[in-house]
Amino acid sequence: MSAICIENVSKSYGGKVKAVRDVTFSVEEGEVFGLVGPDGAGKSTLFNILTTLLLPDSGNIKMLGMDVIDDYKAVRQIIGYLPGTFSLYPDLSVQENLDFFAVMYKSSIAENMSIIEPIWKQISPFKDRKAGKLSGGMKQKLALCCALIHCPKVLFLDEPTTGVDPVSRKEFWDILKSIRKHGITVVVSTPYMDEATRCDRIAMIQEGKIIGINTPATFIENFKGKLYTFKSEDIFSLLNAMESCPLDCNYYPYGEHCHIAFYDDIATALPQFEKFLSDNNLQHDEIRAIAPSVEDCFIEIVQRDFSH
Amino acid sequence: MRIILMLIKKEFLQVFRNPLLLSILVVAPLVEFMIFPFCADYEIKVLDIAFIDNDRSQVSRDIINKFNASGIFVPHGLLESKEKADAMMKHDRIDILIEFPHNFEQDLYNRQNTRIAITANAINSVKAGIGTGYAQEIIGGYMQDFAIANGSGSMQAMAAQLQAQQAAAQQQRKGSKTTSIQSDSPIMAEQAASIDISNVYWYNEQMNYKNLIVPGILVILVTLIGCYVTALNLVREKEIGTIEQVNVTPIKRWQFLLGKMIPFWLLGMVEFIAGLLIMKFVFGISVQGSIPLLLGITAIYLLVMLGLGFFISSVSENQLQSMFIVLFLFIVFVLLSGVFTPTEGMPEWAHKINYLNPMSFYIEVIKKIILKGSEFVSVQKETIVLSIMAVLINTGAILSYREASK
Repeated sequence: MSAICIENVSKSYGGKVKAVRDVTFSVEEGEVFGLVGPDGAGKSTLFNILTTLLLPDSGNIKMLGMDVIDDYKAVRQIIGYLPGTFSLYPDLSVQENLDFFAVMYKSSIAENMSIIEPIWKQISPFKDRKAGKLSGGMKQKLALCCALIHCPKVLFLDEPTTGVDPVSRKEFWDILKSIRKHGITVVVSTPYMDEATRCDRIAMIQEGKIIGINTPATFIENFKGKLYTFKSEDIFSLLNAMESCPLDCNYYPYGEHCHIAFYDDIATALPQFEKFLSDNNLQHDEIRAIAPSVEDCFIEIVQRDFSH
Repeated sequence: MRIILMLIKKEFLQVFRNPLLLSILVVAPLVEFMIFPFCADYEIKVLDIAFIDNDRSQVSRDIINKFNASGIFVPHGLLESKEKADAMMKHDRIDILIEFPHNFEQDLYNRQNTRIAITANAINSVKAGIGTGYAQEIIGGYMQDFAIANGSGSMQAMAAQLQAQQAAAQQQRKGSKTTSIQSDSPIMAEQAASIDISNVYWYNEQMNYKNLIVPGILVILVTLIGCYVTALNLVREKEIGTIEQVNVTPIKRWQFLLGKMIPFWLLGMVEFIAGLLIMKFVFGISVQGSIPLLLGITAIYLLVMLGLGFFISSVSENQLQSMFIVLFLFIVFVLLSGVFTPTEGMPEWAHKINYLNPMSFYIEVIKKIILKGSEFVSVQKETIVLSIMAVLINTGAILSYREASK
């Protein structure tokens, strides 16, 4: 049974900005489902609709058999939500925040200690500290505690690791893994493509549209081009020169490297490309073949319009 | 029930941890009560006065001495010329100028009409009005004595009836900020008996301005706590996003709003009772009417203000916006309500606007119960209006809050 069934959901702001366009997908029970896309793709709008904070213009959403729009009161009891920005009371202590949300859900800390224990162990030394005085990673852990305090069936995390240091990010994903053991379905959005590989399945979202849903491994398997990487000193000249490249390829800077995916026969394309670079006096180191990442898959789908 | 108690507990924790809010709650009433009633006073205690005596007679000297002995007027001597007097008034050295004409005394004895000119600096209209009033009273008093002293014959007929025909010709002088009121006081020789007018100010026998100001401050205090603090509080939750986190919980809207209202309603009532105690023990004004009735109507008025605060916070995006709206409404409320200025002189349309002004109804109730000792019957109308307002504004607040969150 699907935990969440989303059918033809659309939402526009003021009739002009179409934040979510005809989105349809489902999330299976107990999986960690990632919503991946750049800023402004419509992730947060979709999250607000799923968490009953915003009404869609059209479409249906069923969550564990309940209608999210008509039955939002019941849905609120079974969902946990971690908003994109820190939304706990900064002037209440860690303990007080947790008590407060426990009561709001007619629950208690003791009742669901088993779920929050791994996180609670990390933040309990600071339980008398004001929530506003915690570090970024600690704030997120406390927020997660508050979102889990009533043992939700579905947990929504809106960009939980944005603005969090790499160590805390890793810890946070480890915690999510432990949450799964309780059979909680997790829906998480992130602009970081590298994190997406830690999800069971991911949906790629661009300009309000879902452009692909699959497991990270399948996305990588389905990568159509042949991907190569190299380093160049002068990325700017390279970008200009690529405008006139006769090859059927897809070129983009990737961190301090350059990635290029070829869609022609690689035996002829690679030597042609090397000749093109030397003709244009562009310095580069060795051009190596690499395995694509989720980000490469996302870029391929967006730029070559492979969306289904 | 547990949810509402938790919400109230949370609200109090936050209030007592917010040093700024706490000091506003404690300091604001103290400052308002301890400073304002002593400053806001329409009573004029000092008036600077000068004379131009063209007559230099016994009568004019006697009148000048009366002025000097009055204790209200500070004499700045006899001036030789009108020009000198004008200059002094222009530089705010004098408020009132009294000018005696030539042959003043002689005309009086000859039962001729004569006139004394009183010129007042009307930049401060209250000062000018009261100053000329005092001056007329002193001259009138003297004239009466004069008539009695010269009682024989025709003189006894002379009553010092200074007609209050303040044909006030207000002339704006070019380049100066001085406006003057010219008051001609013809003395009529043919008037018979004199009339002694004695005033009694009911419900405020000493015409003590503090009795009018202090209840006004109570009203302002309750309004500020009710409207301002609530509006800021709720919109702050919006600003820092906590309202989103609360909205995804299954608590109901009315629970949330009730959890907000009860703490601020309680705070408002505590402030009001503290204000009543200050009023009693510092200013010696005790409530003439029923205290439970006063508290009951205050409770309703607070509901109106709380609802208004919520309404404002649900239509504004941040604390700054809500502050501007509250400030704007607050000024309109205060100026129209008659808290510090009488409403009787207002035009008809202002009276109509006042039907929407909860503060104007509440100040009526406060004045009636505290100063007059009115029973419920005489504040019935106000109570009903405030109750209707409370219901309407709170319904509006709940509805607009619903819209904002869905």
